[in-house]
Amino acid sequence: MPVSHQSQSSSQSQGTIRQDALSYPFDTQVRLDEVYTRDGQVREHWQYVLDSLQSLGNQAFAERQEKALRILRDDGATYNIYSEQNSPSRTWGLDLVPALISSEEWASIEAGLLERAELFNLILKDLYGPRELIRKGVIPPEALFAHRGFLRACQNLSLPGEHDLILHAVDMMRDDQGNMCVMTDRTQSPSGAGYALENRTVMSRVLPSLFRDSQVHRLAAFFQKLRAKLNSLAPNLEKQPRVVVLTPGAHNETYFEHAYIANYLGLDLVQSGDLVVRNGYVWMKSLDGLTRVDVILRRVDDWYCDPVELRSDSQLGVANLLEVVRAGHVIIANPLGSGVLENPVFLKYLPQMAKALLGRELRLQSVNTYWGGDPKDAEYIQNNLDQLVIKPIFRGNGTRSVITSELTANQRKDMLTLMRERPLEFVAQPMLQASHLPSFVNGELKPRPALLRTFAVASDTSYMLMPGGLTRVAVESSSFIISNQTGSLSKDTWVIASEPERKLDLDEMHETLLSSRDQELISLPSRVVENLFWMGRYAERAEASLRILRTVFMLLNGEESISDTCRRILLSAVTEVSSTHPGFVDAPDSLIASPDEELLLVVRDADRLGSVRSNLNAMLFCSDESKELLSSDTLRVINDIRDALNELDTALQGGLASAPEEALDPLVTALMALSGLSHESMVHGVGWRFMEMGRRLERGTQTANIIRELLVPEVNPSDQQVLIEAMLLTMETLISYRRRYRARMGVQSSLDLVMMDTSNPRSLLYQIDKLAEHIQHLPKAPDNRHELATEERAILEAQTSIRLSLLTELSNVRDEGQRKMLLACLDRLSELLGTMSNLITDKYFDHRETSHQLVRSTWDTAQ
Amino acid sequence: MKYRIKHITEYLYANRVSHCYNVAHMNPRNTLRQKCLSARVSVSPATSHASKREDYFGNTAYHFEIQRPHKKLIITAESEVNTDPQHSKLKLDFGLSCAQARELLRTSTQADVLLSREFLLDSSMVKALPALRDYAGPSFQEDRPLLSCVQDLTHRIFTDFKYCPESTTVATPVLEVLEKRKGVCQDFAHLEIGCLRAMGFPAKYVSGYIETLPPPGQEKLVGTDASHAWISVYSPTEGWFEFDPTNDCLAGEQHIITAWGRDYFDVTPLRGVIFGGGENPVLNISVDVARI
Repeated sequence: MPVSHQSQSSSQSQGTIRQDALSYPFDTQVRLDEVYTRDGQVREHWQYVLDSLQSLGNQAFAERQEKALRILRDDGATYNIYSEQNSPSRTWGLDLVPALISSEEWASIEAGLLERAELFNLILKDLYGPRELIRKGVIPPEALFAHRGFLRACQNLSLPGEHDLILHAVDMMRDDQGNMCVMTDRTQSPSGAGYALENRTVMSRVLPSLFRDSQVHRLAAFFQKLRAKLNSLAPNLEKQPRVVVLTPGAHNETYFEHAYIANYLGLDLVQSGDLVVRNGYVWMKSLDGLTRVDVILRRVDDWYCDPVELRSDSQLGVANLLEVVRAGHVIIANPLGSGVLENPVFLKYLPQMAKALLGRELRLQSVNTYWGGDPKDAEYIQNNLDQLVIKPIFRGNGTRSVITSELTANQRKDMLTLMRERPLEFVAQPMLQASHLPSFVNGELKPRPALLRTFAVASDTSYMLMPGGLTRVAVESSSFIISNQTGSLSKDTWVIASEPERKLDLDEMHETLLSSRDQELISLPSRVVENLFWMGRYAERAEASLRILRTVFMLLNGEESISDTCRRILLSAVTEVSSTHPGFVDAPDSLIASPDEELLLVVRDADRLGSVRSNLNAMLFCSDESKELLSSDTLRVINDIRDALNELDTALQGGLASAPEEALDPLVTALMALSGLSHESMVHGVGWRFMEMGRRLERGTQTANIIRELLVPEVNPSDQQVLIEAMLLTMETLISYRRRYRARMGVQSSLDLVMMDTSNPRSLLYQIDKLAEHIQHLPKAPDNRHELATEERAILEAQTSIRLSLLTELSNVRDEGQRKMLLACLDRLSELLGTMSNLITDKYFDHRETSHQLVRSTWDTAQ
Repeated sequence: MKYRIKHITEYLYANRVSHCYNVAHMNPRNTLRQKCLSARVSVSPATSHASKREDYFGNTAYHFEIQRPHKKLIITAESEVNTDPQHSKLKLDFGLSCAQARELLRTSTQADVLLSREFLLDSSMVKALPALRDYAGPSFQEDRPLLSCVQDLTHRIFTDFKYCPESTTVATPVLEVLEKRKGVCQDFAHLEIGCLRAMGFPAKYVSGYIETLPPPGQEKLVGTDASHAWISVYSPTEGWFEFDPTNDCLAGEQHIITAWGRDYFDVTPLRGVIFGGGENPVLNISVDVARI
């Protein structure tokens, strides 16, 4: 029963309205509101949420909204990452006011959507099979043949089980009568289910009691069914199937979701380069060789999936994939070719198709659709242009819907000409005024138009619908187009149960998924491992540069002035450690005298290879590529690094004097937090080992560089003191040194600390011992021989050469102003570390050769 | 007529190819006037996986992958085929007029007619551009039999365009061919298909071989030493008819079909992806068509 609007304030807060009460008054301007009946009565299923929001107040609600944003950011929930090189990723927008649907209404929506999914499955089977719909004249041939999503190479592909269409998503809104009406179907590789789950997770954390008491249907079952369905598709059911998620990569707009779903379902996230076809099967390149792939959950559009038979210039596909699919040796969901079902022309013919294939019309309506290929429709479109939205039938690069009333006269003319020339390629639909939902805008609840995306997954003999979905609301009250690309916010969608729901074994599901993941960690795609390796190296490289820069800044601006000799040595060290040659190496005196500009460039110039910023950018790129293996704490620290990097220019405005505190310290701290976290919060599996090896190799190399630069030159005793102190300060061992030796700085005792002391985590030997330990744990081919592998020989030589060194020799054998033995020892160590790095990357990582087309056609992009 | 065909394709690469994936349309297909008696493809170096299937258009597609490094790839397609002339009693001056054909294409509910409409639409290499309509126009009169009009168009292309083996690469845009008035068989086929589609008639691209030995007392047909291409046009209820604009004739017993599709792109004799290999591979093709 609807409850009177006037009575709502008294229902919970005993008649007193808070000062900052968050209310949502009835707005007569809004034609259709989800909260109110047309005569202003609150709908029953909204009452509880409205009351709760009101008693929470807008201050508290704003705080929750802040908290939600923080969680989303920490989870790395983004949309539209790096659409351009330097634009920051956009955090996923969640408006905390949920969209509510009553159980009763949901039951009828669900029945309609399940029936629709069944129909689309039958259409898919027919279009790539007998094409009875065309032979019998149910749809005009052009409705199919003119659509670029119809991939003729996919003729006769079919999946095991009753359903070829595994996932079916639908965008819907209310029509004038208040009935749900389908706007579009998504069958290519529907996105949004992962975002819906993330929204739900955040809601239950930020508004726990509201969520708990509202009796909301849970989403987990949908994902369980998806996982079960994917497993059941595997061609070989005798062994545990390997199911992977194929993503276009970290730059894709919905990459977050790809990684999120892969992690949640316990699947491997792969890119095209991680897969290869060989001997009629698809394999994943992993550290221990090739692992057979049984099922691919596809997030790459189908025409990109195989450069041999589909788009030949595609870099996102796997050569010969389609032929493996035909043989049934790998299953892809949704199947290749399924994008054709998104053709909006089918909406026009849906009633006829439903009659032909299901024997009845659909109960759920679709938006009225007029097609240029039908002469009557074409005439209607010409005569009613201002009331219509024009849509291209194929969604591709550069195509978009057009609201004709917003066009200038010239654009309108061009549009009409284009539609006359290519009538088959356009449909027109009326502009529906979406119903409104309360949205939290500037501290108030405002009505905003809303669009709901729902998700169905094939399950045994029918489909299962996610109870809820992804609601999106427009930024403005009057907006017609609601899309993430235009900055819409999303909402969690609550199907409100009339009675408490039987609790699903969520935790149990989580547990089984995670444990299966751990065991298989060894089979990570080698690309991911390579990115972790380089992430470790770049992080360490950036840190080393930051540390030497910090030391140099402090000494140059310190109380005591330093000699010209020291000055030159220190500045050269900056260039050598950061590899930003020529820099200060053999520089003219003028540059040594006024080094500020060059030093700042070494920090912030993104285009300069070796600068702090370029190393950190490279590290961030690697972290994006291996995001799915990083914990949320780690992602948070990575966000901090990103922030510090974005603010670097501001922080450096104070010049060199304040640079260490303002600009460099926050970065050093964040990098140390990152290295600490990777140690504490990452499973110590293969991925972690490679990241650590990257770190150790880099830190070893940089430590050798710093010792070489600062201690090899022979200088007078007072300069020697300055340089030793600079080295120890840079390597963060000054305090332990003082505690241990208390005396003047000695070359021998400091070399002992930075080269040989295995209790110092920054000493050279420490890095090499750790490397040896990691190398021992790497996957190896079983081999009975006792001969050492090349990388093992290198590590043994490095360990031994340090251990056998005599401190007196390193410190005292001098020639031409240099400590000759020390130099020789460090050079050899650097060389060995370089050899190890090359051996590891050659042995474990994939170095792809570039591919080309045998026949190059400039035109096939059209297909 | 019974033929034995040997078609050798050889690629020489500048650098080593580590592995490759290919699909070949090189074996004759069965049609109303042609029966493939035997067919095989052999590849050197040895394939690690190979399979044969019937594609969307009913052609035979041969897929193979090679996983061993190589600098030379040789594909040998051998077959025996029996061909007949087309519709032996065919009279081009009778049959449906253009107007009747158009009307049937629009209204007929026969499956064959409906399915033929796929070949009316633009494809990746052939678009029904206004310039093609302008060129084709003079050959078509509404009350004249469609096939007679197509014969006229075929004749005009043969007369107006110069056969010039070196003049185009495989992928010459149709408009460029129209402008330069020269090309090879693929270009003339694409041109004629574009003209027919622009006039509102379904047309396909036919790829195959032609016997080039001159029959005694007759002029030698101009073909290519390698493969050949021509077109097929659809007249509702009457069927598909093959015309050869390069030789100004109906395709006959000497025209052996390997594959048909909307244009060259659907039936490319060999396409694929190679890993490594360097730039500009050298391609040698030899085709031998022998009567048996």
